[in-house]
Amino acid sequence: MTVTALLKKENLTPLLVQLCQQRRLVAPVRNSYGDTMFSVIDDPTAVEIDLINQPQNSIKSFLFPQTETLSHYRLDHNDETGRSDYQFHATLPQVPPTVYFGVRSCDMNAVLYLDKIFNPKAGADPYYQQRRKNATFITLACQFPEANCFCDKTQSGPSMQRGFDLQLTDIGSHYHVTTAQDDCSRGHDLLSQFSASFCSASAADDTTMRQVNEKAQTMFSLAVDVERCVTLLNDSPPSAPLLQQLAARCQGCAGCAFVCPTCSCFTISDQKLSDQHGERVRRWDACTFTGFTKMAGNHNPVDGESQRMTKRFLHKLQHDVALYGQVSCVGCGRCVDMCFGGVDIVRFINGVCAVDDEGSLAGTVGDGSLGDE
Amino acid sequence: MTNSIAEIEFAQVILVSGSNTTVAHPQVARRIYDAVDRGAKLIVIDPRSTRIARLAHIHLQIESGSDIPLLNGIMRCIVDDNLQDAAFMAAQTENYQALNDTLMAVNLDEVAAITRVDKALIQQAARLYATAECSTICYCLGVTQHICGTHNVQSYANLAMLTGQVARESTGVNPLRGQNNVQGSCDMGGLPNVYPGYQAVTDEVVQAKFEQAWGVPLSNTVGRPLLEMTHGDSTAKALSAMLIVGENPMLSDPGLTHVEATLKSLDFLVVADLFLTETAQLADVVFPAASFAEKTGTVTNSERRVQLMNQAIEPIGECKNDGEIIMELSRRMGYEMDYPDSAAVMDEIAALTPLYGGMHHDRLIGSWGLQWPCLDRNHPGTNYLHKNKFSRGKGYFSPANHIEPAEATDNDYPFVLITGRAYHHYHTGTVTRRCSMLNREHNIPWLDIHPDDANRLGLNFADKVVVASRRGQCTFSVCITDSVKRGDLYCDFHFHEAPVNLLTLTAADPIAHCPEFKRCAVQVIKEVL
Repeated sequence: MTVTALLKKENLTPLLVQLCQQRRLVAPVRNSYGDTMFSVIDDPTAVEIDLINQPQNSIKSFLFPQTETLSHYRLDHNDETGRSDYQFHATLPQVPPTVYFGVRSCDMNAVLYLDKIFNPKAGADPYYQQRRKNATFITLACQFPEANCFCDKTQSGPSMQRGFDLQLTDIGSHYHVTTAQDDCSRGHDLLSQFSASFCSASAADDTTMRQVNEKAQTMFSLAVDVERCVTLLNDSPPSAPLLQQLAARCQGCAGCAFVCPTCSCFTISDQKLSDQHGERVRRWDACTFTGFTKMAGNHNPVDGESQRMTKRFLHKLQHDVALYGQVSCVGCGRCVDMCFGGVDIVRFINGVCAVDDEGSLAGTVGDGSLGDE
Repeated sequence: MTNSIAEIEFAQVILVSGSNTTVAHPQVARRIYDAVDRGAKLIVIDPRSTRIARLAHIHLQIESGSDIPLLNGIMRCIVDDNLQDAAFMAAQTENYQALNDTLMAVNLDEVAAITRVDKALIQQAARLYATAECSTICYCLGVTQHICGTHNVQSYANLAMLTGQVARESTGVNPLRGQNNVQGSCDMGGLPNVYPGYQAVTDEVVQAKFEQAWGVPLSNTVGRPLLEMTHGDSTAKALSAMLIVGENPMLSDPGLTHVEATLKSLDFLVVADLFLTETAQLADVVFPAASFAEKTGTVTNSERRVQLMNQAIEPIGECKNDGEIIMELSRRMGYEMDYPDSAAVMDEIAALTPLYGGMHHDRLIGSWGLQWPCLDRNHPGTNYLHKNKFSRGKGYFSPANHIEPAEATDNDYPFVLITGRAYHHYHTGTVTRRCSMLNREHNIPWLDIHPDDANRLGLNFADKVVVASRRGQCTFSVCITDSVKRGDLYCDFHFHEAPVNLLTLTAADPIAHCPEFKRCAVQVIKEVL
C-alpha cells in the first residue's frame, strides 16, 4: 500500500549527503554557465540543485549513453590453421547503484518506456539492464511546467501514481513524500533506511498534496490535442502535403531525437584502434538522418526531403499506441525548444488537427506561394 | 553583417543570394522560415534550385556569374517605377549620378539574355524589394567567389542604398560568414593589410601605437594575399618558409597542382592542425593543435557577436592551443611573449582595437556575447551598423557593368561546374570526415547533373564519371537532379577522393583576391569499367 511522509525542506540536503555516501547521486544541477543539467554529484552541499527549471538533458543518457563500447575485438593469427580470426570480448559497464533525484514525471515516464524497449520479455539488453537494475528514482511532482510542456496531454504528468520509487511534492515548508501505487519495495526501503529525515504525513497533508498536484494540472498553456491527433491518425494516414511541408523545413540535425527522452534508436559500428584490435561501439541514431534508411548502392526507400519526419511522428503517435496502448511522446517539450526549423511534434499534432478542421492546410504552415502579389 | 541574425525574422522581404542557407547556415535559415511563416516574401537569387530556393516566392535562377547585370536590371526597374528612396539617398549617399548613368544604359532584354531570367520576374522582384517597409539582403559565397566578387557585393550595396533598405532594423546587406569565427579572424588582423580592428598597417599613427604597445619596430609593408603565397612562381620563390595554422590549402585552394609545387619548393614548412591533413603531410614540422573544446577563448560570428567559449575537456595527448604554440615560437625567436591566459590577450585586444574596446572576458561570461562596435566597458554593443550615418560618412554608389566569367564554356568543355559545401561536412573534412556518423550520412563525392544532360550522356544514378577541366580531372558519382539547370554541374569540395580544386581556376577578383570557385568549364566522361 501507498505510504506517505513529510520531508522538511532543510532536511533535503542532509538527506542527499547521506544518499551520496552509499550511492552515486544524479540530480539537476545549475552549472556556472547558467545551464541546468542532470549531473553526477559528489557533494550536494557544493552545487546548486535546481528543482525549478527543466534540465536540458533527460535521464536517457545515463541509462543509454550516446556512445557506448559494446565489445573489444582482436585479430589473432592462428599458427596451426594459418588463418586470422576475430575474437570478441563483451565489455559490460560497471555502474554503481545510483539514485536519480528530482526527476520530473515526463522523464520518469520516459524511463518506463525505455524499459519496454530495452527490457522486453523476449530478453533484456544487458548494457541497459546493467545500469537500470540498480537505479532508484526519487521523482518530483512538477509545479513549474515550461512554455512548451504538454505532459498533461500525453498522460505522463505533471505528477504520477506509479513507476517511481519515491515522489516528492512541494507543499510549502515541506516536501510531501509518497511511495508508488505499484508498491515498489525500494521506496519503502528508502523511507525506513532514512527514517530520521522524514516525519509522518497527516491526512490533511495528503489532501494538500493532491490539491497542489491538481492545481499543477491547470498550469499548462500549450494548446495541443494529442488525443484527437491519435484518433485521427488511427482513422487515416496523415496528409501528405502536411508531412512534406514540415519535412521541407526539417534541417536533418536530429536534435529532436537526441534530446528526446524516449527516442532510442542506435547504430553500431566498429572502430579500428590498430591493425590488430579495435572496439565495437553503439551510438544514438535518428530516423531523420538520411543514412538511417540508406541501403547498399546508395538507394534509399525514404525520400529525405519529403518523408524524413513521417517515421518519427508516426512511431510516437501511432505505432507505439498500437503496440503499448499509449503514445511514446511524454510531452517534455524539449524537441519544441530544440528544433531549428519549427517542425516539432506539437506543430505536427496541430497540423493534423487543422487538416481535419478545415479539410486543407490553410494557416498551418506557409505554402510558399506568392499569394496576391 | 550590417544587421543581426534575429532581425531577419521581422523583415517583410528577404533577398537571399548565392547562399545555400538551409545547408550552410541552418540558424539563419531558421529565421527565414519563421519570417516566411509570418508572411514575409522570399526572393532567392541562385543558379541552383536549393531548398531555400524552393521555399522562395520568387526564384531568380541566374546564370552563374551574372549578378551584376541582374542587379542592374532590378535597379533599373526600381528607377523606372520611381520606387527609389530619394530622401535617403540625398541625406546619406553620394555618387548616385554615376549609378544612374549606368542604369540608364541598361537594356532589360539584354539582362534577361545574360542572366537567363525572365524579365517579368526581375520586375516583380524589384517591386517587392523596393516597396516593403523592411527588406534585407543575405548573401554568401555565390556572390563573392567570382572574379567580379567585389563588384557583386557593391551592386547589392547599391540596391540597398537606392531603396533606403539599410541602416535600420531588419534591413541591410548581410554576408553570411562560413564559420563560427571567420569574422573574428578578419577582425583580428588575419588579412595582409591591417592590424586588429581593420587598422591599416600603412597608417603611421596606427603603426606607432602598436610599436609602443609591443616594444618593437613594425613594418608598414602590406603583406601578400593567400593566392600569391600558395601560387608563387616555384622557380623564383616568393617565400622561403610558411607557418600554416588550421588551414588545408592542399584541398581548399584553387589550382591544387600549383599549390603543391609551391609548398614543396619552400625551404621550411610548419603546419599546426588537429590531424595530419593533406597539407600537414608536406610539412617539415607538424604541431598538434588543441580543438575548440580544449581551450577557453572567444569567437566572433557573422553578426559581429563576440562570444566566450569555455574549455570543456583537457587537451588530449601533447597538443597545445594555438596561443601557446605562438608564444613558444615567439620566445624561441627572441621575443618574450607571456600571456597568462586568453582573458589577458582579450584585455590587450580591447586596449588596442577601438571596435573591441569594451570586450573583456568578464563582460562576456553568462551572456550571449556583445556585438562590435563596442567601444568601451559601458558600451552595450551594436545591433546594426550605419545608424543615422554610414561609417565612411556618405554611402558611396559604385556602379558596375557585367564582367564576363574567366572561363566560358565551349564545345570541348561544355558544362559549367559550380562548387560548394554540403550539410554534413566542413571545409576539407579535417574533422568531419573523421566522424563516423557524418561519414555515414555523406561519404561520396557526388556530381549533380540535370536529368536531360544525364539522359543525353547515358548516365544512371551512381554511375562513375570523370569530370575534366583544362587543368585536371576528378572522378565523381552521378546524382541526377533538377536542382541544377541544364548545362550546370554541382559538386562539394570536401573530398580528398575527388579534390575538385584540381579543376577550378586560379583567376581571382583583383580587389579582394577571392578565386572564382563558383564557375569553371568542364567536360563529363562516363567511366567505363
